[in-house]
Amino acid sequence: MAYMSMSLHAVNHRLTNVPVKQLPHLASCLASSISNCGELLSTPQSQKSGKTDSDNAVQIHKLITRLGSLLQDRTYEGRWTAVVLVKALVEAGQWEILRSSEPFVRGLISILAKSDPVSTKKMCIITLTRIFHLTYQYPTLVREITTPALPGFITSALNLISVKPSSEPVRRLKPNTPFVEVVLQAVNELIARHPTIFRPFTAQIHSLLQVIIGSTSPTFPEHILEIAQQLFISLHNCAPKNTGGDEWKSACRMTITSVHAASSYVLRAVVEQWESVDPSLRQMSQPQNYSQEVGNGPDALGLESWQGLNSGVNRLVVLLRMLSGFVGTATASTVTIPVGAILDLTSRLNMVVYPSGSSDIQANPQIGRAEREQLLTELPRIHIACMKLLLDLVNALETSAIPVAQTILEQALWVFRAEQFSRDVRTAVYDLVCALLTRIGPSMTKQSVSSMAFIIRKCCHDLLPPTGNQNAATEKPDPKSKNKSSSQATVNADSFLNPGLKQVRQTSSSSSFPDLTRAASELLAATLTHTPSEFMSPALRAEVDRTLILTSDKNAMLASVLNPFPAMQGRGVGTSILPFLARSHPAETEVECLIRPRMPVVMTGLTANGYVPMEDDDDEDEDEAVTAVPASTATGFLKPTPTPTLQHDDIMDVEKDIPSPPSKRSYADEVEQPAAPTIATTSPSSQSKKPRFEPKAAAVTQPPLDAASPATFTGTAAISVPTSSIAGPAPVQTPKPAQSSIAKPSALAAAAAADDESDDEMPSLNVDPDTEDEDEDEE
Amino acid sequence: MLSECFIASTLASSKAPASATLRDVGVCVHEFQPTLNLRSTFKKSSTAANCLAVSPSHVFAAQSEKAIVHVYSREKGNQEATVPFPERIRSIAVAGGKNGDVLVLGTEGGRLILWETCTGRQVATTASHLRPVTSLVVDPNSNFILSGSSDASIHVWSLVDLLSFTKPPSGRDRQPPNSPIRTFSNHRAAITAIAVGHSAGRYNIAVSAADDSTAIAWDYHTGRLLRTFLLPSNAKSLALDPADRAFYVGYEDGSIQSIDFYKNQSIQNPLHDPSLQSTPSQPPAEDRWAPPSADCGTAHALTLCYDGMTLLSGHQNGKVLSWTVGRKKYASTVADYTHPVTNLFMLPPNGLPHPSLDLKRVAHTIVKPRYDSSLSETSQAAGAVPADYTFSTHLLPSISSKPNSAKPDQFTEAFSHAYFPESMLEEGLAELAAFGQPTSNGVPVSSIAQGISDEDLAAKDTQISQLEAELATLKKKSSVNETARQSTTDEVTKLRSDLANLHDYINELHEKQEQAQREKILRQARKEERETRRREAWFAAEKKGKKGDAVLRKMDAEDTVMTSDTDDQSSDE
Repeated sequence: MAYMSMSLHAVNHRLTNVPVKQLPHLASCLASSISNCGELLSTPQSQKSGKTDSDNAVQIHKLITRLGSLLQDRTYEGRWTAVVLVKALVEAGQWEILRSSEPFVRGLISILAKSDPVSTKKMCIITLTRIFHLTYQYPTLVREITTPALPGFITSALNLISVKPSSEPVRRLKPNTPFVEVVLQAVNELIARHPTIFRPFTAQIHSLLQVIIGSTSPTFPEHILEIAQQLFISLHNCAPKNTGGDEWKSACRMTITSVHAASSYVLRAVVEQWESVDPSLRQMSQPQNYSQEVGNGPDALGLESWQGLNSGVNRLVVLLRMLSGFVGTATASTVTIPVGAILDLTSRLNMVVYPSGSSDIQANPQIGRAEREQLLTELPRIHIACMKLLLDLVNALETSAIPVAQTILEQALWVFRAEQFSRDVRTAVYDLVCALLTRIGPSMTKQSVSSMAFIIRKCCHDLLPPTGNQNAATEKPDPKSKNKSSSQATVNADSFLNPGLKQVRQTSSSSSFPDLTRAASELLAATLTHTPSEFMSPALRAEVDRTLILTSDKNAMLASVLNPFPAMQGRGVGTSILPFLARSHPAETEVECLIRPRMPVVMTGLTANGYVPMEDDDDEDEDEAVTAVPASTATGFLKPTPTPTLQHDDIMDVEKDIPSPPSKRSYADEVEQPAAPTIATTSPSSQSKKPRFEPKAAAVTQPPLDAASPATFTGTAAISVPTSSIAGPAPVQTPKPAQSSIAKPSALAAAAAADDESDDEMPSLNVDPDTEDEDEDEE
Repeated sequence: MLSECFIASTLASSKAPASATLRDVGVCVHEFQPTLNLRSTFKKSSTAANCLAVSPSHVFAAQSEKAIVHVYSREKGNQEATVPFPERIRSIAVAGGKNGDVLVLGTEGGRLILWETCTGRQVATTASHLRPVTSLVVDPNSNFILSGSSDASIHVWSLVDLLSFTKPPSGRDRQPPNSPIRTFSNHRAAITAIAVGHSAGRYNIAVSAADDSTAIAWDYHTGRLLRTFLLPSNAKSLALDPADRAFYVGYEDGSIQSIDFYKNQSIQNPLHDPSLQSTPSQPPAEDRWAPPSADCGTAHALTLCYDGMTLLSGHQNGKVLSWTVGRKKYASTVADYTHPVTNLFMLPPNGLPHPSLDLKRVAHTIVKPRYDSSLSETSQAAGAVPADYTFSTHLLPSISSKPNSAKPDQFTEAFSHAYFPESMLEEGLAELAAFGQPTSNGVPVSSIAQGISDEDLAAKDTQISQLEAELATLKKKSSVNETARQSTTDEVTKLRSDLANLHDYINELHEKQEQAQREKILRQARKEERETRRREAWFAAEKKGKKGDAVLRKMDAEDTVMTSDTDDQSSDE
C-alpha cells in the first residue's frame, strides 16, 4: 500500500510539473504506474480511514481532476496523454473510478469532434467503449453514465466514418477514412449490450454496412469485412421485443437467397445438375442475357450490383462468409438455423467442381470458353468458403450435426476428389473431415472408412517431405534394380554432392505451409482415434504409421499407439510404433503414462471377430506393446535404421513382405493346432531356409525372447501367480510358465501356441531387415 | 459458489407425503452439497425406473403406464409440454453429448423412438425387441445406443445410422434399415439395468445386470463378453465409478454392493484379460453394504457424486440414502420423498470450471415432434436434407470460439490491455511528433526531418540554403524564358506582316497577268481583222482586174507602219 501511495504521488507530481508537450513520452510509464496501483484505486471510499488513507483519497482526487483538465487541454499532446491515462485509471480503479468517470466520458466524446491526430481518436473510441463495457455490470452506473452518453458517442463515432445527409435515415461512407475498423469494432462490442440505445441508429448502421459488404471494385480489407459481417448479424439484437429471432432468421434467409441469386449468374457458364429440395427455389431461374458481361443487380440484401466474374465470385465468397458468421455468432434469443436450406445451398455450389476423370461438367453453349475457364479457376475459392461454412455449422450444432454429418462428409469428399490440387481446398477439407470424424467416427462402417482412404493418403503425402528428395535415399538400400539405376541420370545432382542440403530442404518445405500441415496431422490423429482401426486397410495403415514416424508428430503417434491395428489371423503381427514414440518423445507425460502405467493397463489389440485363434494373436500384440518395447528398442533392429533410411522400404514393405511370413505362420498355425510337440520341428524347419544369417538373428533376438515369453504368460499364469508384479514387466516370472502350462492342460494348447507364436514373433519383428538381406543374398 | 445437486423422480403411490411442499411433486432438484435442501420441484409426474432423462435445459419424464412424456424446463422451473407418443414409453435416455438434443425412447412394443428436440424430427426403429425396452443408455460419444429389454437381450444401435439423412454406405444391406447393429444375448432373464463406461475411445465397456442374478461387463464395440459376475441376488440398479474402476449394484432388499474390477495386483487390466473372461467371478454375498433398516425396499436407482466417493441410492420407501464408498457402509439418509424413488441423477457441480461441458448454445424451448409428411422418412428423395429442416437454438457468446484468436487484432488487444499496448502508444507518439508542426510545409521529407529531432539544425539550415539557391536559379530560368518568349512573339509578328506583303504582291502579279491576257486577245482580233481586209482588198483588186499582189504589197507597207504603231502603243502601256 505504501508503495502504491508513493507511486501515485509520483505520478501526480510528474503530471503537474512536467511540461505538457513532453508528457506523451512519459505516458507509457505513468500508465503502468497507475495500473500497478489498482488495489489502492479500487478500495471503496467508505473503508478508508486514518491519515494515510485520507491522503490517498486526496491524491486520487487530484489525479482525476488533473486528467479531467488534461482532456480539455489546448495541446494535442496533453489530450493524447489524458486518453492513455484515463484508460489505465479506469481499468485499474474499476467501480471506484467508474462512478466518477462521467466528466471523462464527456471530455472523450468532445475530443472525437476535434481535429486531433488519428491515434488520439482511435484510443478515445477504445477508451469510451471500455468504460461503457465496464459499467455494464452496474445498473446504476449504466443509468448515470452509459445511457446519457452513449447516443452522443454513437453519433460522433459514426460521423468520423460517414456523412449523414439531413432528414434521411441513411449515411454515406467517407472514402479512405482510417476509423472504419475501430468504429465498427466499438459498435460491435456495445450493440448486444445496449440494443435499445442502438435501435434508432440501426438504419444508419445498416446502410453503412451494406456499402462495406457490397463494395466490389475497391473491396475492403478482410478484417474490416469480417467485423462488418459480424455487426450486420448482430443488428438483430436491436429488433423490438421478441422479434430478434425473426429478424435473424429473415436476414439469414435473405443471405441464402442472395447467394442463390449471385450463383445463378456466376455459374452460368456451366449447366448445373443441381435440383433444389426447396420447391420455391426450383422456379427461381430467370432468363439471362448471355451476351452481356456477367453481372447482377441489387439483391435481396440490398447490396450493390456487381459486374464481371471476379467480382461475382468475390461477392459469393463474402456472402458465404457471412452465412458462416450467422451460425458462429452469438444470438440475442432462440433462433432457427435453416440447416436444410444451408445444405441445399452448399450442395448446389459443391456440385460444380473442376472437371476430372470421374466427373465432367456440362458446358453452357451460350457462354464463351474464356468465361468458363475463368469460372473453373475460381471454383476452389468458392468451395473453400463452402467448407468453412459447413465447418462452422458442424461446430455450432456439435453432436446435433449427426443427422447431417454424412451428407456433409459426402460433399467434402466430392469436392476433395476433384480439387485436391489446391492446397487451400485440402486444408479446408481436412479441417471439416476432422470435425466430422469426432462426431460420427466411432460408428463408421468399413465402406465409409475405405471411401476416405484417398483423403488419408493425400494427407500423408502432404505431411511427408517432397518425394523428389528421397530418390537418393531410396536407392541406397536396394541398388539391385536396373530401372532405378537408369533413372539415376535424372536425379538431382545436388542431393549426391551435399547430403546435408537435403535435410535442410526437407525441413524447410514441410514448414512452409503451417496451416496445411496442422490440418493434415490433426486429421490423421482424428482418423486413428475415432474410426474403428480394423476397417482401415493394412497398406494404408502402414503408410499412415510411416508418415507419423517420419514427422514425429506426438499426438498422432499417440493416437496410433492407442489404437493399434488389430492382429488378424494369417496376417502377421500387429505392429506398433511405440518404440518410435518412446524414442522421439521420451520425456512427455503421455508417453510415460503409456509405457509405465500406474493403473492396470487396457491391453489393446483385442480381437474384432472374437474367434479363438485370434486370442493368441492378442497375446502377442499385448506382449509386444508392453514388454517387447524396452527389449526391442535395445536390440539391433532399430538402431541401425535412423529415420531417413526408413523412408520407403522398412515400413512400406510391410505389404510386400507379408506373403512370406504369414504363409509360414499360417502353416505353422495349422500344424500347431492339433499337436503341440510338432512345433519344435516346424519352426526350425521354416527358419532353416535362411541359414546364413539365422545365427545372427537368433543371437540378436535371443534376450528379448527370453524376456518376452514369460510376459506372454502373464495372462494365462495370472491365476496361479496372483502376486505378479505390476511395474517390472517380465523377468521375475521366467520359471513359471512351463509349470502353469503343464498344470493346466486345458490351457496347454493355447499356451504352447502362444509360446511358439512368440518365438516366431520376434524374428518377425525383424522381418524387414531379414528379408532384405535375403533378397540381397539371393541376387 | 460450488454446489452439487441431484435430481430424483418418484413413482406415485397411495401414501401421502408428510410435508406440504412435496404434495403432487414428481421430480425434485435437491441440493446435496454444501447443504442439504430442496432446490425446486416439478409437479404431476409419476415415473418408473429408467424413465427420467435430464439435459442441461430440460427434464424429460416418461409417465408410467402412459404413452406421454412430460417436458419440464429447468430454466423456468415449469412444465413446458406434454408430448404424446403412439406407444407406452418404458425407458428414456438423452443423447447428443453435453447439449442433450436427442431424446431416445424405448417403447412397450420393443422399438426405439428418437426425437430431435431442437428440430422436431422423429425417427422410429424396427421393433427388434420382443418385449418392452426397459433400460436405455447412450455412450459418451453419442454414437451408440444400448437398449435392454425384458426379453433378456441387449441391442446396440448406431445413433448415426438411425439419424443420418444420407445413409452411409453400409455392408449391412441384408438387414432392414433402422435395425440394431449388434445384439448381446448372454443374459438369461430380463435386463434390469445397463451402465456404460466413461471412455470416449473404443475400449469402452458396458455393464449390464439382469434378473438372473448376474452382471456382465462387456465391450459394446464388438459385443464381446469381458467378465461375468455371479451376484448373490437380482440386481436392480447399477452405477459405474467415474474412472471405471468398479461398479455398484443395488439389490431388491435395499442393500448395495461394490464390485471392484481390479482385485489382484496384475499389470494387465483384468477386464481385458482373456484368461479371466471365461471364468465368472462370484463376489461374496456378505460383502454387501447393509441398509440402515430392513424396510428400505428395492434400490431402484444409484448415482455417484462428482468425486466418486459418495454413492446415493433411491429406495422403494421413498428414501434417498447416501453411502460412503471408502468405508463401504451406509452414511446417512439424504431425503425422504414418501413415494418410491425410481430415478436419481447427480448433476455436474456448479461453479467448477468445466471446459468440456461449457455450452456453446442452449435450447430454451423444445420443438415438439412433428408428424408432417415432409419430415417423415419415406416421402423424401433419397438422402436429401429437406429444406424445412431447421434447428432452433440460442447461440451463446463464448470466449473460446473466437475465430481470429490466432491473430488478435489491434482493437481486441487494446481492449483487454491494462492501458494500451506498447505498439499502439509508439504509433501514437510518432504521429503526435509529426502532427506537432502543422505550420511547416506539407512536404513529407521535411516533416520527417523535423520529426527526428532538433539537434541537426545545421543540416536543416544547409537544406534551406540549398532550397533558396534552387529558388534563385529557378527565378533566373524563368526570366530567361520570359525574354525568349518575348523575342519569339516579335518574330512572329514580323513574319505575319511579311506574309501580308507577299499576299499583296501576288495579287498585283495576278492583275498584270490578266491584263496581258486581254491585250493578247485584242491583238489577235486586230490581226484577224487585217487579214480579212487584205483578203477583201485582193479580191476587190482581182475583180477590178488589177493585180492583187501589188495591192497587197501596198497594204503590207501600211500595215507595218500601223503594227509598229500599235506595238509601240502596247509596249508603252
